[in-house]
Amino acid sequence: MANEQNIRERLNRIFQETFDDDSISIHDNMTAEDIDEWDSVSHISLVLAVENEFNIRLSAAAVGKLSNVGEMVRLLTEMSDGQ
Amino acid sequence: MSIREALADIKALIAEENFHGAYRELGKIASPDHEFPIQQRMARLMRAIPPEALGLRSMRIALLAGCTLDHFAEVLGFWAALKGLALDIWMAPFDTIEQTILDHESGLYAFKPDVTWIFSTHRDVLISVPPGADAQMVGKVVDAAVDGTANLWRAIRKGCDCQILHNTADVPVIDVFGNFEVNVGWSIRSLLRSYNLGLAARRPSGVMLFDLDHVAALYGKRRWVDQRYWYHSKHAFAFGATGLVAQQSAAVLSAMAGLARKCLVADLDNTLWGGVIGDDGIEGIRLGSGADGEAFCGIQAYLKALKERGVILSVSSKNDESNAKAPFLCHPDMRLSLDDISVFRANWNNKADNIREIAELLNIGLDSLVFLDDNPVERELVRTYLPMVAVPELPEDPVDYVAALVKEAYFETTSFGDEDRQRATYYRDNARRQDFASSFTNTTDYLKSLEMVADVGNLDPLRLPRVAQLIGKSNQFHLTGTRYSEAQLHAKVDETVVYGRWFGLRDRFGDNGLISAVILERRADAVLHIDTWVMSCRVLSRGMEEFIRNEIVGLARELGCTSVTGLYVPSRKNTLVAGLYARLGFSPAGEEAGTTHWRLELDTGAPGLSTTIRRRTATKDGLVATS
Repeated sequence: MANEQNIRERLNRIFQETFDDDSISIHDNMTAEDIDEWDSVSHISLVLAVENEFNIRLSAAAVGKLSNVGEMVRLLTEMSDGQ
Repeated sequence: MSIREALADIKALIAEENFHGAYRELGKIASPDHEFPIQQRMARLMRAIPPEALGLRSMRIALLAGCTLDHFAEVLGFWAALKGLALDIWMAPFDTIEQTILDHESGLYAFKPDVTWIFSTHRDVLISVPPGADAQMVGKVVDAAVDGTANLWRAIRKGCDCQILHNTADVPVIDVFGNFEVNVGWSIRSLLRSYNLGLAARRPSGVMLFDLDHVAALYGKRRWVDQRYWYHSKHAFAFGATGLVAQQSAAVLSAMAGLARKCLVADLDNTLWGGVIGDDGIEGIRLGSGADGEAFCGIQAYLKALKERGVILSVSSKNDESNAKAPFLCHPDMRLSLDDISVFRANWNNKADNIREIAELLNIGLDSLVFLDDNPVERELVRTYLPMVAVPELPEDPVDYVAALVKEAYFETTSFGDEDRQRATYYRDNARRQDFASSFTNTTDYLKSLEMVADVGNLDPLRLPRVAQLIGKSNQFHLTGTRYSEAQLHAKVDETVVYGRWFGLRDRFGDNGLISAVILERRADAVLHIDTWVMSCRVLSRGMEEFIRNEIVGLARELGCTSVTGLYVPSRKNTLVAGLYARLGFSPAGEEAGTTHWRLELDTGAPGLSTTIRRRTATKDGLVATS
């Protein structure tokens, strides 16, 4: 699971950078409820930062569905396994 | 250093309150090509710098759009700050362009914008005809669409006093007829192109088009629209294009605020020709033949075109002057001549000093200059000592110099007229005046020998564009910082309450053109108030200030006024005129929030100030000497 660990670390940094808060520590059940700045506008910023960091392109349908950290990690792990 | 590290360093600078340092570093790493997340993080760092620490010009801008612009607006603020503007952005509710404009109770009018930007895209242009429609029908439909847009402009102008920016339609790549579309007038592609041309033809003064279609092409039309984000959240262009759209539009907004660059200072060796003239000689430099010789001709031709549109050209080169001038005088492939260069500085001093001198000689601010030099050491030196001067990075290969310069969008403008065509001559004549001045020991003798004649006239339709341009672009000699478009001036100046006067100046060296304007308001209490006074700095200290003051007093007396009042509203750039009213005999009459009030009582005398300038009055039939 070294790969998943690596994904979590990079994702954590993306969260910190997107929401400009170095104290954020992500966990699977984390949703927009847990971060004040996480709204529909910053959700897109978050997705774009994830796309950039992992050099992937999510489908329009996937963009809307990524509502918690666990789903993001799962999706990123799947996509990087497939590469 | 990675971008991440650079951003962390800038964050640290801001924490140390080294705001200028942080601003400079942000400017260095900024690129319109950065992906959106980087643009956003830079924008956030810029927002952490208090705008007053940077002395940016504030601008209120209202954004109206049929697409989502929240992400763009954030990045726009960043690029505008790099171009000297502190934006205060108001966004109309999503997809309410018409409603917002037509409802004069809407938030748009309460916001009182300086600029209203209708950020429309091709999706907002309702234009279509059946395939095969005849030319008459096509013309009717295009006219109707253009009319619709022009009506919106009129409605905005009725409700508020602002400039308007309007996007051209970004012609989409998805088509039905393919290449055939360009061959017929009724295709979507042709209709949108006709609509864009129609907007330009119908554009009144005070309305600028922002060429979104061109920006889309710059970015690459195939990737311009990311359909995912159109369908998901109504983003009209790809996030990757955000930086480019923001950079290009910020340059236009900055020109609308009168902050565009005015002068290009070029190095010579390996910038305007290949090789070193002092070592290689006239026959040895590469110019005209060979691939890079042709490229240097291309650079010169581009600079010449800039000069012809009103950008002032100067030279700063480490050379002996005679060597440096030799190619201009006798190389057959030079595209630039010495006449194109307003100030020529070839010596062994450091370039920061030379550039400072050039700015002083031309009487323009350092933040009006762009410095072009192939040598990274010189570029870095100028950046360090003169951070206000724009210094583009140049690529290794001279064939790419012109593109690198164009990419920075330094020389945006909102108008072009006779003044721009002749500017180079004005500045060159000025340099000759300065030489002449050095042969006199006493200023009055020098001024007398200039044989100056000033033209004075009312604001007529002929002079309106130039006066609006002068008010729009003047920063240093501008007492109140007002900005009026042609339409606003036309509406305002009625010659019964509000008076407008323009001034021209010529002398033995040539015509300086229309160099000053005042807008005066006659108030109920027998006061003539100076609402606006702008003057081109190229005629500073020749007695024109005193001359104009006498004219104002003369008009005040004619109107039966007993005093003249004026304001000095300080800005970052107009400290030059902080003491003007005191020098012209006005008395201080209060101060609030930095603005000083001045008053000149006429009944106690206020004698005319002496100048060496003769006066001529402009009439409809020409100029008549009156003294």
